[in-house]
Amino acid sequence: MTSTRRRPGPRGRAVLLVLPALVPVVAVVGAALTSAALLSLGLAPLVGEPRLSLDAYRDAAGDLGTGIGLSLGIAAAATFVATVVGLCLALAATAAVRRSRLLGALAALTIPIPHLVGAAAMGLLLADAGFLARLLGVDPSSWPPLVGGPLWAAVVAEYAWKESAFVALVVAGVLSSRAASYGETAALLGAGRWARLRHVTLPLAAPALGGAAAVSFVYTLGSYEVAALLGRAHPEPLPVLAYRLFTSIDLAARPQAAAVALTTAGLALVVVLLSLRALRRLAAER
Amino acid sequence: MTAVRAVRAASRTGRTLLALWLVLPLVPLLLWAFADRWTFPAVLPQEWGTRGAEEALAAGAGGAFLTSTLLGAVVALLATPLGAMAGRALASRQVPAGTAVLAVLLSPLALPPFAVALGLDVLLLRLGVPAVGGVVVLLVVAALPYTTLTMRAAYAAHDRGFEDEARVLGATRWQTVRSVQLPLVAPALAGAAFLAFLVGWSDYIVTVLVGGGRLTTLPLLVASAASATGSDAQVAILSLTSILPPVALLLVVGSLGRRRR
Repeated sequence: MTSTRRRPGPRGRAVLLVLPALVPVVAVVGAALTSAALLSLGLAPLVGEPRLSLDAYRDAAGDLGTGIGLSLGIAAAATFVATVVGLCLALAATAAVRRSRLLGALAALTIPIPHLVGAAAMGLLLADAGFLARLLGVDPSSWPPLVGGPLWAAVVAEYAWKESAFVALVVAGVLSSRAASYGETAALLGAGRWARLRHVTLPLAAPALGGAAAVSFVYTLGSYEVAALLGRAHPEPLPVLAYRLFTSIDLAARPQAAAVALTTAGLALVVVLLSLRALRRLAAER
Repeated sequence: MTAVRAVRAASRTGRTLLALWLVLPLVPLLLWAFADRWTFPAVLPQEWGTRGAEEALAAGAGGAFLTSTLLGAVVALLATPLGAMAGRALASRQVPAGTAVLAVLLSPLALPPFAVALGLDVLLLRLGVPAVGGVVVLLVVAALPYTTLTMRAAYAAHDRGFEDEARVLGATRWQTVRSVQLPLVAPALAGAAFLAFLVGWSDYIVTVLVGGGRLTTLPLLVASAASATGSDAQVAILSLTSILPPVALLLVVGSLGRRRR
């Protein structure tokens, strides 16, 4: 009886504090993944008897294959551009001489813009009668198909644009707190501009840069609306494919949609684990 | 001397290009928002006006603005205290298997939102959970990684000595939380709430998949206008309406954080 009246100790209190957040996350993520797995394996059909089968995966295999390649390609291209531009932004925003407050502020203001709005803006900018074509004076007939074209240029551009601001903010946060003193020491010891960049600034920025790149990659991989708005009807990246299958009037397509969703989730998980390993190795090299 | 000048010129060009990269996508939004007529190949609109705004209002932009604000506010109101409590517990290093618990709390960051929404949708339908409730729960879970991380960092830098002093001086546990702990982490709380608000404010796919047409938010209007042809002015004004409140909030939160420091 006394044990129920006693106040919980520090460990007990910590557990009580963490549970209100932990329970909904475990419930939602666990239930969503389980439900998708059962649906994709034929164990929770909307009509008919439950029967374990890999039919959904087999039926979706062709689209799934092209979707995986396309999604990985878009995410890789966008992350590459975002990382390079984001690093340049961070360097300019934290430079010891002629620091650009403007670039830091512009990057910060880009963060809260919803990706969907970014997609709408890229459409108005890059379409064949868009703002850029007008600025450059190019006729719509000779303008490259950036929106809805075979290279997914507008989709990649939108993700690269938004994520470059994210990368810039993360890297600038690390550099502003640590780079100045190291850079000054290196300069006093006679290191030139490039030597400081290569041997001081870049190694300091590398873990944050790698982490931000991994977050951007995983986000782009699982994001639906930009590719849906600025992409083409065929072939489809994984989120667009899953959405089409899920909202199809053909109920038999639902298990295939779940199969695509689980494949995307698995792919994202593999990327996260690989980047965690790479980041740990980077930290161990010091 | 010429080398120094060349480096300086290159750096200026580079900075101009970077600023252009960040700003250029927003320029057509600003121009289209107030363009009544803007035919190719004109670089600037031929007629300025409020056609876009009128079309947007007719499409239900007023109600959608309220719905989006409410959704963002509810998500922030739920995810911020939950994240603060979890962040406090994790920063105290008293949680058993703390690393694993943190990994679970961060897992929504790694999982594609459409995959979670799609998996849960069938289940919510079978359980008879109202669509709006489902959307809120999913978005709160999506926002928890941000609030937890922000508050964990804030509590890790937080000096518990102030709380111990208050307790020694006779304050109750709740008084200590309210008058000592919360004011000290207020800037971080504002930042966490802002991020959680953004999750609700910007969401598209969860609202579409789980909302089942019950919630018409601004992103839904932007998407439907952007996929139609000939409504560029409406797309632009809806987009600007989706950008301005979070940008204004960011400025407020930013100035709040600076003043406290």
